[in-house]
Formats: sequence, structure tokens, C-alpha cells
Amino acid sequence: MPLETESKVRLRALVAEFRPNNGDLLAALHRVQHEFGYLSAEALEVIGDQLGLFPAHVYGAASYYEEFRFDPPAHTNIRWCSGPACRLRNGNGIRDALLASLGIEHMPGKTEDGRVGVILGQCNGACEVAPMVWLEQHETHTIEPIGGMSAARAVRMARALRDGATIEEATHA
Amino acid sequence: MPDALALYDAMRARADAEYAAWRTPQRPRIDIAIDQSSITNGALRTRAAIEQVVASRNAAVDLGRVHGYGMQWLHPTVQVTFPDGATVMYGPVTPAEAEAIVDEATGRWGAAESLRIGMLTGEREGVPSLRDHPFFALEPRERRLLRNLGLTDPESLEHYIARDGYRATARMLGRHSTQEQVRTVMNDAGLTGRGGANFPTGVKWNFLFGAAGEEHYLVCNADEGDPGAWVNRVVMEGDPHLLIEGMVIGAFGTRSEYGFIYLRDEYPLSIARMEQAIRQAEAAGLLGDDILGTGLNFHLRVIRGAGAYVCGEETGLLSSIQDDRGMPRVKPPFPAQRGVFDKPSNVNNVESYANAPLILMHGSEWYRQYGTERATGTKIFSFSGDIARVGFMEVPFGVPLAKVLDVCGGMVGGKLKAIQSGGPLGSLLPPESLPKLILQGDSFTPWDAIMGGGGIVFCNDQTSVLVLAEMFAAFVEEESCGRCTTCQRGNQRQTEILRRIIDGRGRREDEPNLKLLDRTLQFSNCVHGQFSPKITRNMLQHFHADYEAALRGEDPSLTMPGLYRVVVTAQYDPKLAEAVAICPVDAFRGSAGNRSIDDAACIRCGACIDVAPNAVAKRAKSGVLALN
Repeated sequence: MPLETESKVRLRALVAEFRPNNGDLLAALHRVQHEFGYLSAEALEVIGDQLGLFPAHVYGAASYYEEFRFDPPAHTNIRWCSGPACRLRNGNGIRDALLASLGIEHMPGKTEDGRVGVILGQCNGACEVAPMVWLEQHETHTIEPIGGMSAARAVRMARALRDGATIEEATHA
Repeated sequence: MPDALALYDAMRARADAEYAAWRTPQRPRIDIAIDQSSITNGALRTRAAIEQVVASRNAAVDLGRVHGYGMQWLHPTVQVTFPDGATVMYGPVTPAEAEAIVDEATGRWGAAESLRIGMLTGEREGVPSLRDHPFFALEPRERRLLRNLGLTDPESLEHYIARDGYRATARMLGRHSTQEQVRTVMNDAGLTGRGGANFPTGVKWNFLFGAAGEEHYLVCNADEGDPGAWVNRVVMEGDPHLLIEGMVIGAFGTRSEYGFIYLRDEYPLSIARMEQAIRQAEAAGLLGDDILGTGLNFHLRVIRGAGAYVCGEETGLLSSIQDDRGMPRVKPPFPAQRGVFDKPSNVNNVESYANAPLILMHGSEWYRQYGTERATGTKIFSFSGDIARVGFMEVPFGVPLAKVLDVCGGMVGGKLKAIQSGGPLGSLLPPESLPKLILQGDSFTPWDAIMGGGGIVFCNDQTSVLVLAEMFAAFVEEESCGRCTTCQRGNQRQTEILRRIIDGRGRREDEPNLKLLDRTLQFSNCVHGQFSPKITRNMLQHFHADYEAALRGEDPSLTMPGLYRVVVTAQYDPKLAEAVAICPVDAFRGSAGNRSIDDAACIRCGACIDVAPNAVAKRAKSGVLALN
């Protein structure tokens, strides 16, 4: 039997508690993405093994959901809120300003160096601060909500992050 | 065998003692509202600042936690409870105000006077009762579903129990209520599905009770995906045991041994609080095996969603639970026949379950004291958009929507242009509907509209209804599961047409084509496809003049990207250089004193207007004619 890679051993341990036909797939996918930042082909295979599902089934299910990624995330993601209260206050302009400032064609997308990304966010009911974005870092598991956005602030924030600012610095950009 | 009521009474006595000590603390306590909204408003930073002040002064106060009370525009809020049980609410409390709050709590009464909102309990001279705040004018004097907000730590099982929590369950099990009695009282109360479909909850429970087999599943739809609606979030973050107790009652009434709460990924605090509450209830013998020693078993789990709107459709939700793509399927078979893992199942909304303990506790007559003949009881609503006071409240069914707008402080930034209810599959209502609408599903029907799950967004006239329609069309297109060609392709075409119109290239045949798409979409299998043209249909029905104007190239709101341009209006404004620098696409041309904006390069993000509102402005494009 060939030796398993280190990541595979880690993956197996991560999903060891999950069982087939028990409604565990989403939990397994979340756990792996939380740990690794994304779902690699290897991860999908290990999860399939554990849950008795074909890799095609695992990929088919995982790719159905907006939140699962199959590539490493940007170092910092700007999650843009697409809710109605945000749109009433130039939400579209904020989105376009973010993408243009970073030279990203489409959302979800990230800069070529992988430093900054823009991803889709959904309303979670803090509409009093509309329009808003969240700054997210997988590495540190940080999520920083930022309300009272404007297109100008979006440009400054995106440029700061592009130039290596921390979340704290970008918040005050 | 120990008696369920005796077990409960013992639990209750301990909880009462703990709660009494919390309500009338030996020394003042500062409770910071911690919920998704307050966190977004910086509540964690406020808490850290207060902690620091308390630590550095070694102040004689304790710190605690509550859920926000509904006034989200005043977040982050903080409550101080004094030894006599009086609780004052403050907000918004930023880190800079931490000192003032600690001062006020530790004896320098008046230090935080300007931050006071009102008295939640007790009295202090010169401080009004919170219940007298105009925002709550439409709420019943005594809240029902929201009764514990501000008055409990949402992470404490003991507080919930001390406020009569799990008492309905103990009585149901201890006095040997029959399963039929439980279902009947729900029907007598007139409880209907709070997700928006309004189907009688007790009837649904009857279906599952009568379903074949012994393995029944009770499922909670907590995939509250309608943007602008956060009714379920408030229940789960504010009073998680209320949902659990409702599901225990439902499990008893439907012979279900297993339950799932399908909770959207966007609510991380709801997930954490529900999972913690489940562990607490299990440890206390209120959930799991042999509940209160009566032999009743009910095992409950949270399933965390992953950002798929259509999983809020019940068959999509069931597919998602059982390791599949969350795609809706054809009904019948209905979930009560074949649900999760092909076993009989019942799916109810969070708020539907949350009503069950209250109804069982107080009876159907009590429940019907509020609401109307056709819509009984109360409901939580969330109000947002261009209004002065964004937040949530619990009101009896039948309340006039115009009064809601009043208590929300009226419109800001412009006049009322449209009312959006029921999320992306919901409706777009015109201003003239406002005086006629009441918060009751069938009041929306004459407008070919639905009320939905409780999210209502008021939009002012600074936004075009075509832009709104395009936004919702894009949403439903993106979230279509793709199974039905009508929905997958139909929604692509609908979005394309609307996008072309707002780009200033509308055509005469767009309206008939949108109507054709509407008819075609009705052949979709599930409500996602069937309801996806509703907002565009409402736009054509109620805002036809706006559509016609758009075809002529007119948009007074200057938000349709193809119908306006951004121009330099003041060459020597000192802010103009800043505008040039902020432009993310370098669309400014010419040198100082001779600046212009290249319209082809401009993406209309508005960044330059943000920094130099007196030097750059939007101007309507003229001469755009409908192509035909």
C-alpha cells in the first residue's frame, strides 16, 4: 500500500467522525474548508471515501453551493453584501469600484498575486449599516464587518489591501 | 418513575434562584447586546472597551450579555441593571463612551444621560419607559415571541426556564396530554406557516402524525435567505430554547424521534447559539433520550447550509440534508409521505415552531386575542431600506403598513417609491398601495403581491424600480437550481432584457417578451421558477410609467447606468483633484481647469461624486430613443 501524503492523513482525521447516510456531507465539507481554506481534489476524495459517496457525487453536491471553493482563497477577501438595503445605497457602485480598483473581471475573483479577492455576500440583517462589506481572512479566521461604505471608501480600501495593508489598516483607509 | 412535573419543578427552582440573582444583582451589571447586527455595529469593540475600563478601575460592576431589543439603528446597545432590578438601555454606545457607561453604572448617575434610550424595567426619574418609545407603538404591551429579549442572557438555559421556558413541555408530558390535543390546540389557535406560505401548522402536523412507519423526521427551515428578512435570526440568536421547545412539542405531536434545523451559513452566531442550546437541553434532560423521564426521545441536530437560496424550498432543503445537491423536486410525494432519507417528514419555519410553546402554555383563546379573524396572533417583522429606524418588532397581524412606516420614522433621502416584500420571489408595491395594506397575507393579494416571511424594505425615489427589478432578477437567475429549463433559461432571458433596458437600450418588444417569459416560467416545477417573474411583473403592473420612461431614455433617479453620465461641474473646486485620484479606472481627461470624464471609460461607481459632490455630478443623457 502506498504511503499516504501528510495532507491526506490530516484530512482523514478531520472527517473521521462523519458517517454515510447520516446527513454529514455539508458538515464534512465545512470542516475541511475551515481547516484548509478550500476543498482540494484530494479532500473531495477523502470525504467521498468516508461517506461512501463517489467523488462525482461529492463534487456535484459541493459545487452546488456558493460557499464552497475549490481553489485557495485570496489572502484577504472582500465580501460584498448584495442585499436590497445595500443596493439602495449605491451597492452596485461599490461592487464595481472594488472590482475595478483590483483589476478583477468578475465576482468571485481575485488579484493575480492572490492577495485580495472579491466575493458575493448575502444579507444577514444588519441593514441599518448599509451599505456594507466584510473583510475576511482565512489564515486568521477573521471576519470584520464594515458598514457605512461608499464607492470612494471601497476604492481606498481595495487599494490599501492590494498594497499590503492589514484588515485594521484597510478599515481606516 | 420520576414525574415530569416534579423534575421540572426542581429544575425551575434552581433556575428561579439564578435568574433572580441576575435580575436583581448585588452590584450593577452592564450587559452588552451581542447579536449579528450589534456585532456589525462594533459591539465587540464596545465590550472590549468597557472591560478595559472596568479592569483598570477595578470597578464594582459585572459584565453580561443580552440580545438586542429591536432598535438596530441604535446599535450597539448596552443595558445597565441596578441592584433594585431597574434596567436602563443605552445606545449607540461606541468604545469612546465606555467610560461614561461605567461611570453611570458605578454611581455617577447622569454620566451617560445623553446615551439613554429608556427604562426596560423599573423607574428612574426623567427616563421614559422603553415601551413608550414610538418604535414600539404597534407592539402589544407584552411581547410574546420576543418576550425574553433584553430580559435574559440568550445563552442561558436557566434564564429561559425561569421565564416559564419548557413549562409547556413539562405540563404536556406530566399531565399526559395526547398527541391529538397538542395538534388540535395549534389548529384552534389558527397558527399558520410563518415562512410565507401560511399553511396551517396543525394540519401539517396531522399529516406527519398519520404517516406510515415509525421513523418520522421533524425539520426546521432556518434557511432565511430572503435579503431584508431576519426574523428567524432574531429567534435563534435571541431565544434559542424557544425554537427547541417548539420542536420538542412538534416532535411529540407528530411522533418524530429525529429533528434537523437547517440553518443558513450566513448566520454563524445563530449556528453557535443553537448548537450550544441543544447541548444544554440535552444535558438537562429536556432533549435527547427519555425527555423528563417520560420515555419521549427526540434527537435534534443543526445542519449548516452553504449559501444556496433555493434550499429554503422544502424539498430542496431535504435534498441538501441528505448529502445531495439541494435541488427541489416535484411534489407529490409531499414531505409527509417521503421526506428526508425518504422517511415521512414535516418542515416548518423557525417562527412557526417558536409559537408552539406559547400556544400550548396559554391556549388558543389567548393566542387569538391578537391578530385578525383570518390571521391570528403576532408576527415578527424586519424593516429596512430608506427609513429612519431600521430594526425588528413583533406586531399583531392586521396592523396598517402606513403606521409601520410612521413608527419606523418615515422615509429618509426621498419620497416613498416602492415597497418590497417577500424577498426576491416576492413583490414590488407602489406608494398608492401603502394606505390600503395591512400586515396580513391576503391584504397583499389585490396587488398581485405577497407579504412573505416578514422582511419589508421601503425604497425611496432615488432608485429606479427597473434597477431593483434587475437586481432581483439577477438573484433568482443565480439561485435557480437549473433543473427546469423554464427557470434556468427563462431567468437568464429575464435578466438580460432588464439589464439591456437599464443600459439604455430598451426595446418596444421587451414588455411582451417579459410577459411571455412570465407565462413560461409558470411551468417550472417549484415556487422558485413560478415566482421568479413576480417582481418584474409587479414592475410592469404598478410602475408602467417608469418602464415607458426608461424606453424613452428617461430616468429621474439617475441610477440606470446607461441613461446618465458623470460630468465635471466645477473646474476649480478644490476637491476635484481628489476625484481624479479616486477614480478606479482613470476616466478623467484633460489637465487642471480643463477636466472632463471619458464616458466610455467611466463605470459609474460614484467614487468621484463621493469625494467631490460639488465638482462632479450625474447628468441625464438625452436623445436615447427606444430601438424598435
